[in-house]
Amino acid sequence: MDSIRLDNTLPNVFLARTDIQSDIWRRDVTLEKGMTYLIEAQSGTGKSSLCSFIIGYRKDYDGRILFDDKDSRRYKNNEWTDLRRCHVSLLFQELRLFPELTAMENIEIKNSLTQFKTRKEIERWMEALGIADKMQSPVRLLSFGQQQRVAMIRALVQPFDFLLADEPVSHLDEINSKVMADIMMEEARRQGAGIVITSIGKHMNLPYDKTLCL
Amino acid sequence: MNLIWKLLRRHISLPQFAGFFFANLLGMLIVLLSPQFYRDIKPIFSEEDGIIRPDYLILSKRISTLNAIGLSTVNTFSEEEMEDLASQPFAKRVGAFTSSRYKVSCSMGIDGIAQFGTEMFFESVPDAFVDVDLQKWHFSEGDDFVPIILPKTYLAIYNFGFAQSQNLPKLSEGIVGMVEMTITMRGNGLNECIKGRVIGFSTRINTILAPEGFIRWSNTRYAPDEATEPSRIILEVSNPADDSIVNYINEKGYEMEDDKLDAGRMTFFLRLVSGIVMLIGLLISLLSFYILMLSIYLLVEKNTEKIQTLLLIGYSPEKVAMPYQLLTIGMNAAVLLLAIGGLVLVRSFYMKQIWSVFPQMYDGSILPVIALGIMLFVMVSILNAVIIRRRINSIWNNKG
Repeated sequence: MDSIRLDNTLPNVFLARTDIQSDIWRRDVTLEKGMTYLIEAQSGTGKSSLCSFIIGYRKDYDGRILFDDKDSRRYKNNEWTDLRRCHVSLLFQELRLFPELTAMENIEIKNSLTQFKTRKEIERWMEALGIADKMQSPVRLLSFGQQQRVAMIRALVQPFDFLLADEPVSHLDEINSKVMADIMMEEARRQGAGIVITSIGKHMNLPYDKTLCL
Repeated sequence: MNLIWKLLRRHISLPQFAGFFFANLLGMLIVLLSPQFYRDIKPIFSEEDGIIRPDYLILSKRISTLNAIGLSTVNTFSEEEMEDLASQPFAKRVGAFTSSRYKVSCSMGIDGIAQFGTEMFFESVPDAFVDVDLQKWHFSEGDDFVPIILPKTYLAIYNFGFAQSQNLPKLSEGIVGMVEMTITMRGNGLNECIKGRVIGFSTRINTILAPEGFIRWSNTRYAPDEATEPSRIILEVSNPADDSIVNYINEKGYEMEDDKLDAGRMTFFLRLVSGIVMLIGLLISLLSFYILMLSIYLLVEKNTEKIQTLLLIGYSPEKVAMPYQLLTIGMNAAVLLLAIGGLVLVRSFYMKQIWSVFPQMYDGSILPVIALGIMLFVMVSILNAVIIRRRINSIWNNKG
C-alpha cells in the first residue's frame, strides 16, 4: 500500500459543527508511504477517532478513506485482517496490552502471526528500551511508561507500510523517548514505511516531513 | 495458538462447563439408549416369521360349546366352502391343513437313551405355503428323516415354564435344531419309527408341521380308511389389509388367527415409550446445548476487550473463534465417547437379562445408533461453531 487518502473525512459527532478548522477533517489529504507526519491536536479533536477509522475499528465518519484509491468501506473482513497484519500497524494510545500475559508474550502474540522478527531482535529492542529485565513479568505489573515501550515493540514486529503511533511518548522521559524514536525510524526506514505520529503536546523528535493540525 | 488459548481461557467457569458436560452426557446417553433399546427389544415382539409369510392368513371355524360336546354342526371346511373362498377376488391361493390320522409319539434323547417322550400329532399345509428351502422341506417315501416346524410358543413354554422351574438349561432355536427325535407311528397294525428334526420355528402357525408328502404317505400307510375335511385352511391374499377379507370372514363366521395383533400392539407401545424417552433425552440435550451457548456467550462477553484487541492487531475472526470452537467440539466429542461407553455398558447389562429369557435372541448391532450419535455430534458441533463465529463477527463489527 502506497497511500492513505482522507477525502472529505469527518467524524459523525462533528457533523453538526460548522467551525471546523483542521488540516485533515473535510479536506483531501493523502499520506504517502516513506514520509513522516506529525498530527498535532488538541484534546477532543478526534485524534484517536482518526486512528480508529484508518484501522477499520470504527466507521462512524462521513466522507471517504481510501487505501491506494480503494474505498475502505468496501473492505471485506479478510482484507482488513490483511491490512492490520501486513500493512498498517497501530500503536494504540491506550496501549491495549493483555495484562495477564508477560511483556514477551504480549509481543510474541503479535509476532507469531507473521514471524516477522526473531526472538533475538525482540530481545535487543527490549534491552535498548531498558525493559529486558521485565521480559517475563506480567505486563500488568509494569509502569505505564514501561508498558508503552512494550506496546511500541509489539507495533514493530510486523511488516507495515504505515506506522500509526497515537501519542507514543506521553509517559516517557527524554532519553527513552529518543531511543524509541530511533528504533522506530530505523525500522520504518528499513521497511520504507510511512510514519504518522499524533500528539497533543509532547512529541517525539523526528525529522517530520509534514506537520498537520487536526 | 497457545498464547491465544492462555488469553481466552480466562473467565472459563468450571461449574458452568461441568453442568453442561453432565447434562449433555445424560441427554446424549438417553438419546442413544432409547433407540438402541427399541432396536434390541423389538425382535421379541415383532419377530419376522421366516416360515409363513405375512400375507398368508390362517382361517378356522369358531368352536362353540355345542361343537365341543359334539352336538353341533361340523367345524371343518367343505369342498364348496374352499372353492367359494378361492373364487374371492382377494384370494390368491387356498390350501388346507391336513392332520395325521394315526397315533404319533416322539422321544428325544442323547446317545440313544430316551430322555423325554410325548404323544403328538402332525399337520401339513401345501409345501408352497412354507417358506423354507425345499431341499430341507422335503419327504418322499423311503426317506428315514422328517423335517419338522414347531410353533415358537412351544419353545417359549419350555424355556420360561419348564426349564425355569426344573432348573434345566434354556434352549435356543439352534440347539433344538440339533436334537434328533425318534418318531413312532402306530396304526393299521403297524408300529414304525422314523427320525425327525426341527428345522424351524414359526410364530404364525399353532401346530406341528411336517411336509405335505410325509402326511400323505403316512396317512395312507397308517390310517388308509379315514379321510376328514380340514378344520383349518391357509390363504394367500394379495393385500392383508383389504377390508373385504374381514367382511367375508365375518360373514361366513370364520376366525382368523391373528397372533400378530398383540405383538403389533406391544411394538406400538414400545415405539411410543422409546419415542417419548428419546424426546426427553433430546430435550435434555437441547437444554444442555443452551447452557453451553450461554456459557460461551458469557465467556466471550467477559473477554470482549481482549478479542477486540486481537482482531485489531491482525488476528482474523476465524483464528479468534477457533479456541472456543475447539473447546466446544472437544467437549461434544468427549460427551459422545462417554455416552457411547455408557451405552455399551448399560446395554451389556440389559442384554444379559434379555438373553437369560430369550436365549435365541439375535445380538443386534449398535453401529446405527453410534452413527446417530456421530450425526448429532457433527450437527451440534457445526451449530456451536457457527454461533461462536457469529458472536466473534459481531465483536468485529463493533456491535459487541
